[in-house]
Amino acid sequence: MTDCPNGLMRDLLPEHALGLLPAAEAARVAQHLAECATCRADLVLLKQVRAAQSLGVPRMDVAAIASALPSAPATSRPAQRIASHRWFGGHAWQYAAAAGLVLVVGGGIVWRAMPTGEEARLADSSRVVVAPVESAGVREPLPADDGISFGGGLSDLSVDDLQALLGQMDSVRTLPSSDPESVTPVIAMNEGGKTL
Amino acid sequence: MSESDREGDAQVDVALIARWQRGDQRAATEIVGRHAQALARYAAAQGVREAVEELVQDTFVRAFNSIGSFRADSSLRTWLFTILKRLVLDRQRTERRRRNQVELDETHAVQEFDALDGMVADETLVRVKQAVDRLSGLQREVFALRVTEGLPYSEIATLVGSTEGACRVHYHNAMRAVKEYLSDD
Repeated sequence: MTDCPNGLMRDLLPEHALGLLPAAEAARVAQHLAECATCRADLVLLKQVRAAQSLGVPRMDVAAIASALPSAPATSRPAQRIASHRWFGGHAWQYAAAAGLVLVVGGGIVWRAMPTGEEARLADSSRVVVAPVESAGVREPLPADDGISFGGGLSDLSVDDLQALLGQMDSVRTLPSSDPESVTPVIAMNEGGKTL
Repeated sequence: MSESDREGDAQVDVALIARWQRGDQRAATEIVGRHAQALARYAAAQGVREAVEELVQDTFVRAFNSIGSFRADSSLRTWLFTILKRLVLDRQRTERRRRNQVELDETHAVQEFDALDGMVADETLVRVKQAVDRLSGLQREVFALRVTEGLPYSEIATLVGSTEGACRVHYHNAMRAVKEYLSDD
């Protein structure tokens, strides 16, 4: 048993047998078949294989199958798009622009509502310092009517106020850390000068 | 079939799907008419002997329920073949569990077919059918898709999970094996 040495023609035979080749290619194959007994025999065999493959295959009842299919989507609803390689059906730039706008506007609002970095740092410091000091009983926080106010700056304080303030600052040997984990030990040192 | 012919054929399917999505139920019937018989042949090539129409119907139902996942970069028919193939595997698993025994071997299947069809079919075709049934599962699948459906190697490779080159080799080996079997008579 031999194969035709023309691999291209052998490859085209199945499509030729099914009548799927365009006219020009079909003509070339037909010309080859006129000269090649092996390919003629192969073509006959391919047609037999196709017929044999249909043996025992029942005829499909198209109407019955179609009646079991889900109903077509309602015309009022937008048709579901066939998935394609184009993201979001080719409207990617519009979605990106909308997302960017939301980020810019929303970010601006949040930024304006937030305290500045310095304010936030001071607020944080006051939180971590005051609570442990109270709990450790080291020192009562300064009352609001203590007479010392920074509202107008240091130049507004009297000499007595400044001396009182300096005296209070001297009693603080170590500045509290901003690290919450180390706040309690640092404050605790102030109680007796020893680490608890 | 040339590349442009295939693309034109694929466009017909895409247009029919779009019509169905717009509410035209007749488009679904046209799609079934275009592919149902090919699916039945493919099922037979997979060794399915019983309830073929039910299997084909299940394939279409599943396809229409998930039509949004169809990617038009392969043909609708190839996509339907993929769904049918999964259903066949599911059915085989279920059947194995139910019977709690191994499937019929290929020889048995051929004998079963002969008993059923030999009386009515041409003797030559029965021999050809026997020759095809003796091929390995992968060879038989590639051979059927190429000879019976005329699919290009690229789509066959996608279906069987292999490469175009390997599918070409499977096809030529299958052709040679069939010819050898028939020449032994």
